[in-house]
Amino acid sequence: MSSNLSETINKVLADTRSDESDVRSATAPHQRDFPYDREEEAQVTRREFCNFLGLTSAALFVGAAGFAGKAAFDARRTPQFPSSKIEGAETLAPGSSLNFRYPTTKDSAILVRTLDGELHAFGQKCTHLSCPVYFERAHQRLECPCHDGAFDAKTGNVLYGPPPRPLDPIKLEVRADGEVWAVGREAGSSEGLI
Amino acid sequence: MQSEQIKARPIRNLAGKGRTAVAQARLILLVMVNVAQLWILAATVEAALAHRFSALLPLVVASGICFAVTLTLIFWWRPASRRFTSSGYLKR
Repeated sequence: MSSNLSETINKVLADTRSDESDVRSATAPHQRDFPYDREEEAQVTRREFCNFLGLTSAALFVGAAGFAGKAAFDARRTPQFPSSKIEGAETLAPGSSLNFRYPTTKDSAILVRTLDGELHAFGQKCTHLSCPVYFERAHQRLECPCHDGAFDAKTGNVLYGPPPRPLDPIKLEVRADGEVWAVGREAGSSEGLI
Repeated sequence: MQSEQIKARPIRNLAGKGRTAVAQARLILLVMVNVAQLWILAATVEAALAHRFSALLPLVVASGICFAVTLTLIFWWRPASRRFTSSGYLKR
């Protein structure tokens, strides 16, 4: 009984063995269904590899040109920012922070109330490689966890680390009943387009 | 005829080795250009994020030059041994 069972298992395993385990050999049914020369298919010729490198070069060129073009296009246009109320900002305790979305729901931002009670808001993307910065309470500064960069919580200026420019500041407006509104956003000290 | 073949054999081997070396050099050059382009793409991304717009155009031009070099290597710069045929005999 047990020998029958093991025979059956072996038979099933043999029948269903995938030919992907070894590209140079295949079971008879697979070879019948896909009758190509596996030995030849498993190799890449020098010419094919050269063509692949050519395509890669084209893709890298298009990528660089596209990225540069988009950055230049974004810098040229002057977007209009809507006013948006920051929920919960009026009750924010000194020495703490609050995350919100501005100007669109895709853009994360951070509002900081410093120990002296002043409010400051910045885009949350680190200017190095776009990691989200967070408010470090112990040192009262904004830090980037990815590459150990830090920004001043009042001005957004770079304190240390790899970020090449300050954080993008968000203009704030305190309205009636202490409501805090975001009314605009700037690029942190960017150079002009050529 | 027989003696010509015997003499031609070492020349054929040398020509074949030379062609292989040129083909390998071509492949290595292509790989090096690709690596350079990868570095240029990384520099472009970093410059764009840092708003260093004056660096963007030179980087794109450099990437374009690399692409042109790649095309040149693929389409025109081929190993060719014109003095001897692939069988090793002198062309008539």
